[in-house]
Amino acid sequence: MNEKQQNIRLYIPIYLIIVCIYIIAGVIQPIFFTWNNNVNLFTRITPLIFAGLAQTFVMLAGGIDLSIGAIIGITNVIAASLPCPDTPINIILWLFVPLSAGLAIGLINGLIISKGGFPPLIVTLATGAIWLGVTLCIMPIPGGIISLSVSRAVTGKLFKVIPSPLFIFLTTIIICHFILRRTKFGRSIYALGGDETIAYESGIPCNKVKIWVYGISGLLGACSGMFLSAWMFSADPLIGQPYILNSIAVAVISGTSLSGGRGGVIGIIGGAYIFYLLNNILNLLGISSFYQFVAKGLILILALIFTSSGVNLELKEWFGGYFYKKGRLLKKAGNDEQKD
Amino acid sequence: MNRKISNIKINNLISQNKVIFLLYGLVIILFIFGNTISKGFLNYNHVCAILRTASFLGIVSMGQTIAILTGGIDLSVGPMITMGNVFVCMFINGQNSNTLWAILFVIFLGVLFGSFSGLGVAYLKISPLVMTLAVGSLITGITLIFSKGAPKGLASPILRYIGVGSLFDLLPVIIFIWLILSVLCILLLNFSVFGRKIYYIGANEKAAFFSGIKTNFTKTMAYSISGATAVLGGALMAGYTQTAFLGIGDEYILWSIAAVVIGGTALTGGKGGYVGTIAGAIIFVLLESILTVMNMPEAVRKMANGAIILILISIYYNQEKAKVKIY
Repeated sequence: MNEKQQNIRLYIPIYLIIVCIYIIAGVIQPIFFTWNNNVNLFTRITPLIFAGLAQTFVMLAGGIDLSIGAIIGITNVIAASLPCPDTPINIILWLFVPLSAGLAIGLINGLIISKGGFPPLIVTLATGAIWLGVTLCIMPIPGGIISLSVSRAVTGKLFKVIPSPLFIFLTTIIICHFILRRTKFGRSIYALGGDETIAYESGIPCNKVKIWVYGISGLLGACSGMFLSAWMFSADPLIGQPYILNSIAVAVISGTSLSGGRGGVIGIIGGAYIFYLLNNILNLLGISSFYQFVAKGLILILALIFTSSGVNLELKEWFGGYFYKKGRLLKKAGNDEQKD
Repeated sequence: MNRKISNIKINNLISQNKVIFLLYGLVIILFIFGNTISKGFLNYNHVCAILRTASFLGIVSMGQTIAILTGGIDLSVGPMITMGNVFVCMFINGQNSNTLWAILFVIFLGVLFGSFSGLGVAYLKISPLVMTLAVGSLITGITLIFSKGAPKGLASPILRYIGVGSLFDLLPVIIFIWLILSVLCILLLNFSVFGRKIYYIGANEKAAFFSGIKTNFTKTMAYSISGATAVLGGALMAGYTQTAFLGIGDEYILWSIAAVVIGGTALTGGKGGYVGTIAGAIIFVLLESILTVMNMPEAVRKMANGAIILILISIYYNQEKAKVKIY
């Protein structure tokens, strides 16, 4: 199976689900198709897309980042505690201080994980707790304020037409896709996630790649925190906590394997959409928010079933040559193992 | 000669269970440290109070230990606890006669949802992290729908006695229950076929499958047990708090994982056990208690939790590296 077919198999199910939900929702409640509602959705999914991208990078390299919540929280708090008057220097400060903080935290995570050889789940759980503590030291209760022009620029419209959040996350996804698919660094991330020993033996500087992968995760987490601060116009130290598990879910739904080496960033919009689309629909239909948890759980399970490799194998057997001609040929050749 | 053999045996015992000795040493050190900070920390009543708090975490971590030993993880423990807590209060409604069937029914629910996530993990090969997350969201929704967002009901006197009372005015009942459950859990994990299977699956699932173990069924069972213990933990918490509370389980997702990891169980599965988790739960609660006694703010407590996990992890993994070097 070549790269293109693999991509199609990864991303088609998720976007199909989204389109189905979208059309059904639009038929039931026409408000859903209005431009304003969609702009609102773009704004809502942007922080989750950043968090999901961060998690995707780490998961592709075979790791996991549970400190993403703390990174979002601390950059959010830092962005809102900087001086807020609208001067160019302040805007530059707002851009660079949280970003460098996120990068530094990510690099520290990477250093501990690669140099110590500890499991990433626990290391990032621990560093997450530590940075959450630091965040609470900086700002124990929600507060702070950010520059008005920054907030307008980030959540407003570009050239009065394109919503800036849409522009921001599309550019980021394209850049991430380029890094992953068209650079040496991206290739080494996939190699590292596939098999670390083989990657090491074929001359990839594993430790260096690992450190930078966590660095990028910190950077993207910082983007998410900054966007949240601009959107809310203030900061909340605990805002990142829901993003820990949601980012993992988004990355997995968008087709990235938790064991590393497989997946990409193209499906991430779909993954993030699933989370808020449903909330949005149920809100528009006036259904109690309690049912949203059930719906979210069910849709998550459904999406997981469609994107999980185990189920794809089963489907392969059921439908035989209909949808998976290549798979059947492989099977006829006596190769039962999953080949992708 | 005889003495030599016994010496070797003891040495083997110590070297095999170095982590356990280290952990219980740490428990004792922390208790003594607490006593130097504030007199009366080692008071019998206070020790009992700490163990009582640890027992809830210990019971919840029981299932988490089993799930992690199979190489998975259970993130649905938080919602499970909340469900147990809310539903038990709702069904009991202050009546002693309702207690038994309410707890049994709630445990049945836990097994049901646990096996649901187990089925997804084992048969559909969905990664446990996300599957249990999704099932957790489902459970949260169901709890909210049935409690209408405002949980009602009261714990019965019997449940209250279990939560806060003590046997013969000496040993808190909840600690006694924890003891019985831990003995059962240790027996299950170390001295039963099922336990062996769990360790094999965690160590190498493919090899376990080819040696004729029904890996999928065993995994599903592991998640059902995890659901049952989490819900039971929530139900017993109802005895402690008297009323239901919708946010009671939220913290326990990460706490239970932390207790298991501090207890020396490897997240890759197949290594560790419940004996360590008991120490992990006690250490976790002790640390909180000591920092509270020292008047530390929430922020510092969080940092200390993170720091102790990092330190213990570095100790465990350095040990493993040393082993690799020797052999």
